[in-house]
Amino acid sequence: MTAAPIRRIVIAGGGTAGWMAAALLARFLPPPHAEILLVESDEIGTIGVGEATVPLMAQFNGVLGIDEKDFVARTEGTFKLGIQFRDWGEMGNVHFNGFGDYGDAIQGVSPHHHWLKLHRLGDASPIEDWSMPYAAAKRDRFAPPEMVHRQGDEAAFYKYAYHFDAGLYARYLRGYAETRGVVREEGRIGKVELDPESGHVAALLMADGRRFAGDLFIDCTGFVGLLISKALGVAYVDWSGLLPCDRAIAVPSARRDPLTPYTRSTARAAGWQWRIPLQHRTGNGHVYSSAFLSDDEAVDQLMANLDCAPLSEPRLLRFTTGHRAKFWDRNVVALGLAAGFMEPLESTSIQIIQTGLARLVEYLPDRDFDPAVADEYNRVTANEYARIRDFLILHYCRSRRSEPMWEHCRTMAIPDTLAHKIAVWEACGRVPLLSEESYQEPSWVSIFLGNQVLPRRYDPIVDQLPIEKLRGGMNQRRAAIAQVADHMPPHTLFVDRTCPAPVAA
Amino acid sequence: MSNPKAIQSIVIAGGGSAGWMAAAALSTAFHGTDCRITLVESEEIGTVGVGEATIPPIQAFNQILGIDEAAFVRATQGTFKLGIEFVNWWREGHRYFHPFGRYGDDFGMTPFHQQWLRARFHGDPTPLSAYSLSDAAAFKNRFDRPLADPRSVFSTFSYAYHFDAGLYARFLRVHSEARGVTRIEGKIADVALDPESGFVRALTLENGQRIEGELFFDCTGFRALLIGQTLEVPYQDWSGWLPCDRAIAVPSARMADLPPYTRSTAHKAGWQWRIPLQHRTGNGHVYCSGFMGDDEAQSILLAGLDGAPTGSPRQLRFTTGMREQGWAKNVIALGLASGFLEPLESTSLHLVQSGITKLLAWFPDRDFDPAVTVEYNRQVAREFESVRDFLVLHYRATERSDSDFWRHCAAIEMPETLAAKLAMFRLNGRLIERDKDLFHEASWLAVMLGQGVTPQGYDPLADIVDPREMQAVLAGMRNVIAHTSDAMPGHAAFIARHCRAPDLRAA
Repeated sequence: MTAAPIRRIVIAGGGTAGWMAAALLARFLPPPHAEILLVESDEIGTIGVGEATVPLMAQFNGVLGIDEKDFVARTEGTFKLGIQFRDWGEMGNVHFNGFGDYGDAIQGVSPHHHWLKLHRLGDASPIEDWSMPYAAAKRDRFAPPEMVHRQGDEAAFYKYAYHFDAGLYARYLRGYAETRGVVREEGRIGKVELDPESGHVAALLMADGRRFAGDLFIDCTGFVGLLISKALGVAYVDWSGLLPCDRAIAVPSARRDPLTPYTRSTARAAGWQWRIPLQHRTGNGHVYSSAFLSDDEAVDQLMANLDCAPLSEPRLLRFTTGHRAKFWDRNVVALGLAAGFMEPLESTSIQIIQTGLARLVEYLPDRDFDPAVADEYNRVTANEYARIRDFLILHYCRSRRSEPMWEHCRTMAIPDTLAHKIAVWEACGRVPLLSEESYQEPSWVSIFLGNQVLPRRYDPIVDQLPIEKLRGGMNQRRAAIAQVADHMPPHTLFVDRTCPAPVAA
Repeated sequence: MSNPKAIQSIVIAGGGSAGWMAAAALSTAFHGTDCRITLVESEEIGTVGVGEATIPPIQAFNQILGIDEAAFVRATQGTFKLGIEFVNWWREGHRYFHPFGRYGDDFGMTPFHQQWLRARFHGDPTPLSAYSLSDAAAFKNRFDRPLADPRSVFSTFSYAYHFDAGLYARFLRVHSEARGVTRIEGKIADVALDPESGFVRALTLENGQRIEGELFFDCTGFRALLIGQTLEVPYQDWSGWLPCDRAIAVPSARMADLPPYTRSTAHKAGWQWRIPLQHRTGNGHVYCSGFMGDDEAQSILLAGLDGAPTGSPRQLRFTTGMREQGWAKNVIALGLASGFLEPLESTSLHLVQSGITKLLAWFPDRDFDPAVTVEYNRQVAREFESVRDFLVLHYRATERSDSDFWRHCAAIEMPETLAAKLAMFRLNGRLIERDKDLFHEASWLAVMLGQGVTPQGYDPLADIVDPREMQAVLAGMRNVIAHTSDAMPGHAAFIARHCRAPDLRAA
């Protein structure tokens, strides 16, 4: 409300979340509308390793008005068309969750129903053959869709995301934010001062005695949740019973060409390993469950599975999957690890920061901090987390791998919302989408089919199309996609030509 | 190789709007397949449908059926509808309009109405309606079709229809029979169940004819012969939220200038509709029997007509609410059999349409896997609840306290979903959109503001736009809307030119 607008925003903690918040808030509330202060300490490391993202990222950059090539170059970035999953359903299984669909609906029915019919008739080709991003990824080629469509090809719809160095990204956004008036204060937060009457955070008291007061505080202090948890005492909703991994070991390795235009996730005996190709190196990590694997074994498995020499010592991270019972409490909004954590299996960490920020801007409070606003923010955010959680559990709960962790995942209780999705999918090949879904039908289909969870039937409308016509149409589609993909430049070449990272001084 | 368990025979129990809408959609979807569709109805049983007002999604339904708009409007004595005028709802003597379409164009970083709110806070008295082309055209009795081009002001509005529901059913019957639907005349005497599964196997008519099927639609109206009487699916009574339980309907003479909108006028214990058609005007008084006798209700209705009545008044009784499962076993209820929400926002036919399109999306096979049924029911319930909330808003947010009825309404406890929406809007005009809300932002905005719900502030981000720029943009939009609506053809002239219906008296 005009009577009491937020005049001063204090962001506690830099890192990816902190600087994303600073950049976006500076964009929406440029001086003189608000003063934005970010407090961080160079002594405290950030968690971000090599980051993979989802296509929503382009929207964030677009709102900021960031030039894509400049951003990719300065973050040692590469392009991403999806995620390749290896050994997930069973050893030797490979499938691809691409940023796209399997073509337009045919007679109002999604094409995976048509694929199911052909599959039943003995056609062995995977549904990925109908996916444009897969066709490009398989060839290690990449071009942005607008370039492909400019050439007049009727290629299928697809999107893309990025891989980048999260530390460099934070630095990049810092430059952006500081240019737009955000003030950075170096130092360690000693104490959080609460208003004795309202219980709101009044100020951050620094270890060196400085005091930073504010109207709205953004907690980006990582797992510790200095404001949301330590000061306000908001509880944590623990989901480790649903997603058993609780540790990760990360290590960079030397760049390897060709640069793959996709993230790779390889299932292991008690978890999975990521591979994120950047321009200057490859990010690797092993996410695992400490109940089923020791740290030493986890390190050994990771180091034995690098495709190039490691560039540093492995780093161990511990986490508890779950989220704060309230993401927004009183005048504090938590973002990033302070808000919650879900393993990066679908590269959702930055997405959740981004959607949280977009929601904060949509529900921007005034100094009255009416709890109705925070309630709505929390309701929507909790749903968003729960939907992603279900999507991640689906990767685990239907695997046929025999190791003890996989056995556990197959037999553990799953949320009702996911059980319902699986039951409906198995009954009729459709995915019931709930509110606040991050993943739409093609993504769910990709994970179901990729893990060989097949429905008992396909949509009856499919049978209205004569089989020869269906076969002909699908062969045509496959050929058209292949042709477009063949004409894309190699991803490595595209990166080196259009957005090479500046040579290190 | 088609699915060996594919549904091969569908039986629709009951004609009327619901039955024939189902028949038309199913026969279009399954045209050219082996699936047989039979509709059973009796000419002795009247249908409830009176003059019907609709909402814009019905255009999509007609398009899927491949129906030509002009032919449809002619055949149903139809007119066009740009929205609903609400009279006496906030206070006696007050009126507001719920337009189809949006208000203004977004500028800056907030939805358009936030700039309007901001201007208002700084003393600009212009009502939000000045930024709606639907609103401007409606009160000038003008109409034209919108355009898809997003740069044109003609893309900012939408429309629906008023028509004679009996004629619509007849129109769809022709459509359906041309696509192979078999119509059987007769009264249903018995519903046979499979003793093991409890599924409906056949309908037996009074003349002894037995009609077997695999999938049944219950379009038998309030009787709910299959879903209620036979399968005993309970009914959720919502009269605690929406207390009206009766209606009296009467037609009156055609209005010469054919207003392109429905009118709803609040009375002492309910409200009266007015639906202009080409051959007559449909009228009805929806009221609460706990607060008003039938005779008084009828006098109020007749006193509030714009023309002479052309028939005798008919009374309807109903219980607002919803069938707990719209789909049970192999029976799907549509129309009044599935639930009833008073026609205050013209949603009756939409709920039928939406049930059919959802069913086509979640079409079963002979396994009738319960997971699919659960999902269909979840979606249907969510939509009913969202309409319910929207209707409750009209009764709950009002300053009227001039009768026991309105004092009763003021004390109704709102559904939590509605309370949350109102709280957010009161604060600074933000609209929460819940999953599967049938009515979108502009509709909620129109009714919230129209019913006197006033935000205490506005979105702080609105202040980012320079105030002079804001005023210039707002003035420009008002100007375009005023001029564009002046240049549109009159509604009656538009109909005369494109889709004049035959004069029934001459026939």
